[in-house]
Amino acid sequence: MLYSGVFLILGILLLAILILSVRQSTHGVVVSAEGAAAKLVEPHVHVHVTTGGSTLTATPEALGLEHARARAHQLGAVAVNVNNSDLHHLLIWSVFALAIMAVASIGVGWLLAGRVLRPLQVITAAARELSASNLHERLALDGPNDELRELGDTFDELLARLESSFESQRQFVANASHELRTPLTLERAILEVTLADPDASAASLRAACQRVLAIGEQQEQTIEALLTLARSERGIEHRQPLLLDAVTRQVLAERRDELERRGLRLDTELADAPTIGDPRLVERLVANLLDNAIRHNAPQGWVAVTTGVEGEQAVLSVANSGAVIGAEEAEQLAQPFRRAGTSRIGHGDGHGLGLAIVSAIATAHGATLAVLPQATGGLRVEVRFPAR
Amino acid sequence: MRVLLVEDHVELAETVATGLRREGMAVDVALDGSDALAHLALTDYDVLVLDRDLPGVHGDQICRSMVAERRDGRILMLTASGSIEDRVDGLSLGADDYLPKPFAFAELVARVRALGRRAGAASPPALVHGDLRVDPAHRLAIRGGQRLALSPKEFAVLEYLLGAAGRIVSAEELLERVWDENADPFTSTVKVTIRRLRAKLGEPPLIETVTRGGYRI
Repeated sequence: MLYSGVFLILGILLLAILILSVRQSTHGVVVSAEGAAAKLVEPHVHVHVTTGGSTLTATPEALGLEHARARAHQLGAVAVNVNNSDLHHLLIWSVFALAIMAVASIGVGWLLAGRVLRPLQVITAAARELSASNLHERLALDGPNDELRELGDTFDELLARLESSFESQRQFVANASHELRTPLTLERAILEVTLADPDASAASLRAACQRVLAIGEQQEQTIEALLTLARSERGIEHRQPLLLDAVTRQVLAERRDELERRGLRLDTELADAPTIGDPRLVERLVANLLDNAIRHNAPQGWVAVTTGVEGEQAVLSVANSGAVIGAEEAEQLAQPFRRAGTSRIGHGDGHGLGLAIVSAIATAHGATLAVLPQATGGLRVEVRFPAR
Repeated sequence: MRVLLVEDHVELAETVATGLRREGMAVDVALDGSDALAHLALTDYDVLVLDRDLPGVHGDQICRSMVAERRDGRILMLTASGSIEDRVDGLSLGADDYLPKPFAFAELVARVRALGRRAGAASPPALVHGDLRVDPAHRLAIRGGQRLALSPKEFAVLEYLLGAAGRIVSAEELLERVWDENADPFTSTVKVTIRRLRAKLGEPPLIETVTRGGYRI
């Protein structure tokens, strides 16, 4: 439509210019004819009247003056008439041609737009239909390798990214609900089985109550961890200068007893490491790393903690001895609910969210996290914050 | 009735197993997929109580292989994924029943028992033989209007013999179907139990010993 309109306007403009120019030249003809007639009083003046490419010449001697003058007038009139009718014809034919071209341009424009712009319609329709349930579909446009195809392919890439992000979120929700439901199931089973026993002694009832309390505590921790994860992913609320080494010292002090109890050796090298962030979240990060190092250790093993500045970064490193972990497995450990080995829930303590929370807090602070298996067994986890 | 409970959460598995054993079932516990498959290869279970999310071999995979091998046992899926899609999914895989967690223990027992009934010939919920009436769901055995005080094993043997409906049941079969994997096949536990059961059932005697065959009601 747009192009047809423009074409029409340009066409009319062209026609107008054409007609005006022709008019101008015919006007010139009339003037020259009159002028020629006036000049006939001069003897020996050749009169040229030019019209349509032919020239009429008249000389006074050949025709006699009066006759010549009349003749010149006649010529002039004829010339004007011929030009007028030429002009008329020109006008009519031009308008006709313009009309046909306008219609043709509309028709061709319609076809072209349909053919070429169809990919755009496909994309628009697909975007309209998009919802969480059909993200696996792709446009897969075929056709020439042009900008529209590129648009279609880019759209497909966008869909792929959306799908994977939705999938990982769905997975997280499934895992979280599993983690939350399992303790509930256990509590219920313990209570029901105990109550179903008609000969239940006070001792067994008491034991059942204590077990349920312990499970309740675990649940609290899991819920707290999930909330922390959600909060960390949202971003940091308070940003203030803090010292990584100071935070680490504090967290280590709280765990001295636990380390002693498990017979683990602690090596520390805590150099100044200033950075900026949320002190509560950073404390949680350090605590989770240390708890993991303590929990997944070998008997009579060790834990090594260092802080310091390396170039532009404040680095925290926590390493521990323990079972050998494969490189692939180590990569996956920062995923929520992932644990090393085949056990998933219920085995040992911990809810599998520790490293996921560390990862989220690190990202929120613009820090990088590296989980590296050690050849002799155990892990080394490095978190690099931007230094202050 | 022999039940295999496949659940990777140790405490939950033990609690449920205890509860089911108190209901007179012989329960074996497998803590992961490959352990479950090993158990299934050794024994024919009446009911398989299967958690779907297992480490190693996934619960769905176990369900599929049982269906593929056309095993007799019925499968009850017990799992935290309780959405409609999950249930439809699980049942389509070949599970006979689906119970989402958390569940009411009484419901689990009832469903397992219902599935156990379906394994083999259809047997009525309450078993009657002359003036003996046995109600498995309520663990009641009544003879001549008198309630019998039977131990769980005695009740299970009685139930099994009645369910056989006159067929001869060998001692080996009783040991296999009524006791769990922890039973010692070389003890005379079956004989002892039958003797005690007979004593409690009283006159006229119901259980017949068939020489070199087994027992029959």
